[in-house]
Amino acid sequence: MIGVAPPEHDPAAPETAATLPVGTSATVRGYVRGLLRRHRRAFVVLVGVNAVAVVASMVGPTLLGRVVDELSSGARELHLGRVALLFALALAVQTFFVRMVRLRGAMLGEEMLADLREDFLVRSVGLPPGVLERAGTGDLLSRITTDIDRLANAMREAVPQLTIGVVWAGLLYGALVVTAPPLALAALVALPVLVVGCRWYFRRAPSAYRSEAAGYAAVAAALTETVDAGRTVEAHRLGRRRIALSERRIKEWTAWERYTLYLRTVLFPVVNITYVTILGAVLMIGGYCVLRGWMSVGQMTTGALLAQMMVDPIGLILRWYDELQIAQVSLARLVGVREIEPDAGDAAVAPGGREVRAREVRFGYKEGVDVLHRVSMSVPPGTRMALVGPSGAGKSTLGRLLAGIYAPRTGEVTLGGAMLSRMPAERVREHVALVNQEHHVFVGSLRDNLRLARSGAADAELWAALGAVDADGWARALEAGLDTEVGSGGSALTPAQAQQVALARLVLADPHTLVLDEATSLLDPRAARHLERSLAGVLDGRTVIAIAHRLHTAHDADVIAVVEGGRISELGSHDELVAANGAYAALWHSWHG
Amino acid sequence: MQISDLPYPDPGVPDARTGPRFLLWLGRGQLGGQARSLAWGLLHFGGVAGLPYAVGLGVDAVVRRDGGGLLRVGALLLLLAIAISLGDAMLHRTAVTNWITAAARVQQLLARKTAELGSALTRRVAAGEVVAVSTGDVEKIGWFVEAVSRFLAAALTVAAICVGLLFYAPAIGVVVAVGVPVLALSVLPLLPRATRRADVQREKAGKATELASDTVAGLRVLRGIGGEELFLGRYREASQEVRRAAVHSARMWALIAAVQVLLPGALMITVVWYGAVLVTDEQLAVGELVAAFSAVATMLYPLRHFQEIAMAYSFSRPSAARAARVLSLTRTGEAVPAGAGTTGAAAAPAPGGDLYDPETGVLAPAGAFTAVVCGDPDLAGRLAERLGGHPTDSAGAARSALLGGVALDELALDTARELVLVQDKDPVLLSGTLRELFDVPASGSVTPRAALEAAQCDDVLDALLQSAPDGVRDPMDARITERGRSLSGGQRQRLALARSLVTDPEVLVLDEPTSAVDSHTEARIADGIAALRSGRTTVVLASSPLLLDRADRVVLVHEGRALPAGTHRELLHGEPRYRAVVTRETDEEQRRAGIGLAGPAEELTGIEESA
Repeated sequence: MIGVAPPEHDPAAPETAATLPVGTSATVRGYVRGLLRRHRRAFVVLVGVNAVAVVASMVGPTLLGRVVDELSSGARELHLGRVALLFALALAVQTFFVRMVRLRGAMLGEEMLADLREDFLVRSVGLPPGVLERAGTGDLLSRITTDIDRLANAMREAVPQLTIGVVWAGLLYGALVVTAPPLALAALVALPVLVVGCRWYFRRAPSAYRSEAAGYAAVAAALTETVDAGRTVEAHRLGRRRIALSERRIKEWTAWERYTLYLRTVLFPVVNITYVTILGAVLMIGGYCVLRGWMSVGQMTTGALLAQMMVDPIGLILRWYDELQIAQVSLARLVGVREIEPDAGDAAVAPGGREVRAREVRFGYKEGVDVLHRVSMSVPPGTRMALVGPSGAGKSTLGRLLAGIYAPRTGEVTLGGAMLSRMPAERVREHVALVNQEHHVFVGSLRDNLRLARSGAADAELWAALGAVDADGWARALEAGLDTEVGSGGSALTPAQAQQVALARLVLADPHTLVLDEATSLLDPRAARHLERSLAGVLDGRTVIAIAHRLHTAHDADVIAVVEGGRISELGSHDELVAANGAYAALWHSWHG
Repeated sequence: MQISDLPYPDPGVPDARTGPRFLLWLGRGQLGGQARSLAWGLLHFGGVAGLPYAVGLGVDAVVRRDGGGLLRVGALLLLLAIAISLGDAMLHRTAVTNWITAAARVQQLLARKTAELGSALTRRVAAGEVVAVSTGDVEKIGWFVEAVSRFLAAALTVAAICVGLLFYAPAIGVVVAVGVPVLALSVLPLLPRATRRADVQREKAGKATELASDTVAGLRVLRGIGGEELFLGRYREASQEVRRAAVHSARMWALIAAVQVLLPGALMITVVWYGAVLVTDEQLAVGELVAAFSAVATMLYPLRHFQEIAMAYSFSRPSAARAARVLSLTRTGEAVPAGAGTTGAAAAPAPGGDLYDPETGVLAPAGAFTAVVCGDPDLAGRLAERLGGHPTDSAGAARSALLGGVALDELALDTARELVLVQDKDPVLLSGTLRELFDVPASGSVTPRAALEAAQCDDVLDALLQSAPDGVRDPMDARITERGRSLSGGQRQRLALARSLVTDPEVLVLDEPTSAVDSHTEARIADGIAALRSGRTTVVLASSPLLLDRADRVVLVHEGRALPAGTHRELLHGEPRYRAVVTRETDEEQRRAGIGLAGPAEELTGIEESA
């Protein structure tokens, strides 16, 4: 076995383009410095208690060295009682401080970790809605689960353990020098092997371990997906293909295991040889010095025993060093979120009315490719407008511009004369809300799920909101009422109930303008019918811009705008458009027989 | 078994009666690996145990001022270095190989079991258990498998050191031989409590992660409506709770660490004291005293593996039990004798038969495009199940559908699924490239391109390319993320439809295939399906007139029974109950229409005539 090349397939390679930025090394360094500064005191304490524990651990070998000295010089008066007492005292101190070191290390690590994860969530919930809308939440989700997990190990263990290891090794080496300066040479003899070996190893290890972990996660992910898609797998007779996929993933994962095993096959002997070399060199150099009369047998004994103790801190440092390297990558991904410009809103911009207007709006997601071309429209307060048109025509994009989520490239979208894109998100949502297919039910009580829309709302208000969307019936039947835990893991709401909760939030938030992006289209059409009554309760008295997949929604609107190819091709009431006999009329006829 | 030979060509049939039996079965499969691991372990630990002996000899040589002796000690150390290094590396290699082969084997067994269970999994709570075994339990089982032989090697070495000391320095040997078992066992009583605390911590951490990912998953809602502070507050609380639980757990581990310093230290003091007395009485050489001291210090290393094996076993026992439970699941759940139900007693029907549901009387003639309209969503769901050959009640009273006169659930499962493909309301897009998505068992006569075109997927392809890394030009190479989450509901639905069209089964049943698609696109999809499936049996459960209008015949299921079939237009005009369901007239409108007041019905008829 002369060497294993890293496998070609890298499971850690990104499969989709990263949608959010990754922190530069300067940002990461700055962040780490800040983190350390915040916990400076805890660090000092940890180093302090650690030093005491290590010094106490060196008392034993020193005492034994003296006893050996006296014994070999034939002394009869040994004061064994005093030696044992000193030894016991040192042991008690060491025991106490070792416990402190472990505890302080854990406390420091946990505090830094808690800081880090809370900090990240604070940043995440402050992201501008436009960024979220465009990037989706998938990337953010993987950062908060996978990357936080990886960092947990580093913060919880690697940082404190490395601190301990470095202090420990340093003190042991110092003690060796103090015991007998020539013995310090022994460590220097062993050092070159260690340095060369470690450089080789650490240049390869971090990315290899990342790939290995990703490979293992992929094995579990393939299986999880097969379980999740059980019905689809059976219906399409994919069973055999799924088994083959699992086995391919196992092959890819184990190839990385084999590679990292090879890396360790090189590292382990390097470490072992280093350690035995230190011990051997201490014995040889010490022995030579003793024979020359430059050193006592006791000094040599103490030195040998101290050298033997070196194995622990060296192991500790090597064990956790690569964990820290792996953590760096995760940290860069977490810190990257900080590089996104927070919402640049001007709190002084306030609407002077309720009319929504778009004037000569152009907008595109990519440089040079516009999705909307010179769209102008006006929605007077209280109007119900429907946007219809084929997929990809720009309906949803237009809806998001009207809801203030995206800023137009040129032209402007105004609410009561003020530009929506210049208001902070918190101001916009007091007036306009986008309701989409996403009716997320948060893990928590039903009360929390409603109160997010109006903090501090009394139960009576919540019940009134549920009543307004026709949901108080099933809500009252819940065993714990508003305290019922819902969301994943809690009592499951049907999609229709989840939708009603989302609608009740709107009643509570009470914006005067709503942009509905197919709020009910993901539901079973048979259940959607029941929801229309709930929706009617919310729409009452508001300006509504509805992106409609279903023509009956359009039928009821005051104005219908047909969007085709990023332009408004037809605009008018249902009757007008049917009479005009254009695209809308053709569709309506085919739909309604 | 070498790692490079994985995966196993056949992972075998596990003994999954109980957890311990399952562990034993795994162990039996790798006896050779365990033996190798034990042998290398003995070499490694033996080398480590030789170090104090060498140190003792060295000190002795120096005391005797014997330069040659010192050099011989140097040579001995060289040998030990080789033994330790080689032993350690090989022990690690063999032990890790044991865990990887065991883990791979369990994962392979799980994959096979999952594929076998198929749709039966989603119906039962077992789904979560399977995932838990794969994501967490396999590692714990692997840990135990890895640790067993290492522990055995360590235990044998400790015993050997004690015996060696008994000969080398009998008096001190006795002290050590008595002290070591105490050391080995001392922390065991603390371990259960420590692992319990660690479990609590893990559980709390899991909850906090769930809370965080839940908040992020709903972030668009939060940013659109508000409540960020409420949710941040909740997360901070959970996060601090994790921190406290972790520190609470660390207290226990710190205590264990302290005990592991205190007891060996006490033993060392005893050895030094007693040894020094013996040296002054000239019963012991100085070197022997140093060797004894050093031996006790060295022994702490193999002693750690006593603790490891205790932990590994306590972690892996529940994991092995769960794995055994999952691996003994069967499709039917209950102990149904083989030969009944889905085991395929019947012969496949001749091609070209009609699909018929005896419960409702719905008939889908061979080669035709039939649409079924159901007022009641539950009923529609059950109808779709039966059309796919799943009996819809466990007692077997509701029979499965018949194809060409043969009950589908009496066919072999694979045959039944091959003949009839039911795309349910929530089809799952499996992650992978678009090309992989379309790599399904298929007739071969419909290309992905044709299917994508029929399902109107142009904008989906654009969206996929947009999110693909630079350099991907062909949309077939673009990746779909898990469950297609990066796509909108309508886009997912159209891709799933395209996949079903590619399969091109003899009978295709689609349950609300276009419910999230806009009307413009839906009309084109309906044309696409009709064209691509011409001459094949197709059933669509739908309520949208745009789809119904393209069907050869439409059947309305009213109060559980099929009414006489007709075309969409015939029924629209001749069947008021049908009209009520598909045009979404409210009860009131219906009543008005029924009484004969001027209502939407007449108005619409007028429009139709003008068209």
